[in-house]
Amino acid sequence: MIYRKQGRSVRWENGVVVHVSESGIAVEEGEWFRCEPAPHAASGQLLAAPRGEGLGVRGIAVERLILTEGEAHHQYGDRQWTEHTRRMHLAMTRGPLRVLVDRADFDFTQARAIAAVLAKAELTERAAPPRLRLAPNITAALLPHLAGLAPPNVRLVQTAGGVDGYGNDIVEAVNDWPNFYRPSYRTRPVRMPHNLRLECSVREIDRDRPIAVALLAPVDGLVLRVLVDDGTRAFPATVRVTRIDAVADEREWYPYAAGSFGAEMML
Amino acid sequence: MATRDELWSRGRLLEQRLSYGEAMHTAGGIVATDTPDPALLSACDAAMTELRKCVLPDVRMRLVATATLGGVTQTIIVTQGAHSIVTTPALLLEDMPLLNAGVGADGQAASRRLPILWKHGSAAVLLHEAVGHPLEHERSSTLPPWLIADIPLAPRRATFRDIPLLRMQHVHARAHNAPFTLPGSRIEITLVDAGHYEPLTDVVTLHVGIAHLVDGSHRAPLAPFTFEARRDDIVFLGAIGETLRYPGVICSREGQELVVPAHAPLVLTELA
Repeated sequence: MIYRKQGRSVRWENGVVVHVSESGIAVEEGEWFRCEPAPHAASGQLLAAPRGEGLGVRGIAVERLILTEGEAHHQYGDRQWTEHTRRMHLAMTRGPLRVLVDRADFDFTQARAIAAVLAKAELTERAAPPRLRLAPNITAALLPHLAGLAPPNVRLVQTAGGVDGYGNDIVEAVNDWPNFYRPSYRTRPVRMPHNLRLECSVREIDRDRPIAVALLAPVDGLVLRVLVDDGTRAFPATVRVTRIDAVADEREWYPYAAGSFGAEMML
Repeated sequence: MATRDELWSRGRLLEQRLSYGEAMHTAGGIVATDTPDPALLSACDAAMTELRKCVLPDVRMRLVATATLGGVTQTIIVTQGAHSIVTTPALLLEDMPLLNAGVGADGQAASRRLPILWKHGSAAVLLHEAVGHPLEHERSSTLPPWLIADIPLAPRRATFRDIPLLRMQHVHARAHNAPFTLPGSRIEITLVDAGHYEPLTDVVTLHVGIAHLVDGSHRAPLAPFTFEARRDDIVFLGAIGETLRYPGVICSREGQELVVPAHAPLVLTELA
């Protein structure tokens, strides 16, 4: 069967606006995968470009800001579906520290809060507090790395909703990951968990614990390099996730891997 | 621009990708569409037909043919085990022995304190990270006056969807009157798997894939290791011989992968 995709996007990338319009097909026959552009009638209309100005926080440099808005129409066999997406990727720096922010909207509230912590942070690494909260934007990035690990105390679940790269319903699942991820028509679909969430029997979070507010580097397995705010000081620290004490109920979706719901977590 | 990209494994075609399009620079930004240019597409097809004649039976190969208004490029990436080389149809057979030099070498751990002899042009990878990327960030070179690195920057893009960025066109190093005495104990580097420059800390990181420990007349393979140093701590002790072509720098920045040809003589370094 042929997979068809037609879409357009607009990207604000460090001040340059890029409008992209394209369509293509992908074919799989056994282990062989082929993809190529397919003729389409361009609408001629451009999406309104998002703007990334106005994030200014004294002492903080915006190293990279990419805002992308896109719409795509998919067809696989007789299934058709449409997606509308927004993505923000932001890297802010101060001295040797770089915080990473990835979101599925253009809301800068969280980024400004993180920037305020970064602005007051010590620049040298400290030992991670033995008891620590992780903010939802961090746990969302961590969840794809928990797949297949079965940490004690928690349950990793694929959340039902939406369709996968073959147009199949994304179903509730805890293993064997029945759905396939296809971020582009140029990518061979791969089986992986979608819209992950973490469940824990303990949901109460101790608000007095220090909190890791942002990632300072991409997650490396179960090792997180994070920016910690303990109320009086802020500093970089490296955390190895060995035991999860609690996971809050309130969740927000983040665009990590094939989607991940971040929730405040207590280590 | 038109690009054909194919992945072959042990002589079997696994993946085939065709991509083409144009980017118009307008007052409102860049407008990129997948509009074909028949002449570029035809040139790209011809280049891929030639590349397919190079497919070897026992390795993984990625073939990339790209046609732009600036010309046609052909790239072959050969992967064997954990190591890769980047080459062209004309140089494939010449470069393959380098890839075979360390396959299966488990080796011992490298000592950070030993001087390093960068062989087969691999010093160009060090210079790519320690001079080229800093130049892209408007940082000055830390090279001694006898080691000259020609690293022109120009706007380059990987696909028609990308924003052109100021990137290296090539790294071509040469030395003037910088002989050295070969230390009895040293590390000799043959192949570098990956590299990185961190502008926030000025640290260069190279993942060395194939290297040997030389101690007098004894030569033993080293396990893959990571070379990590601040730029200021890399001491260039000397350079000799002809400038050698290193088969393998694909540079990734902002998600855009570009081939950066790399040439350097034999270079000896140590860490301060």
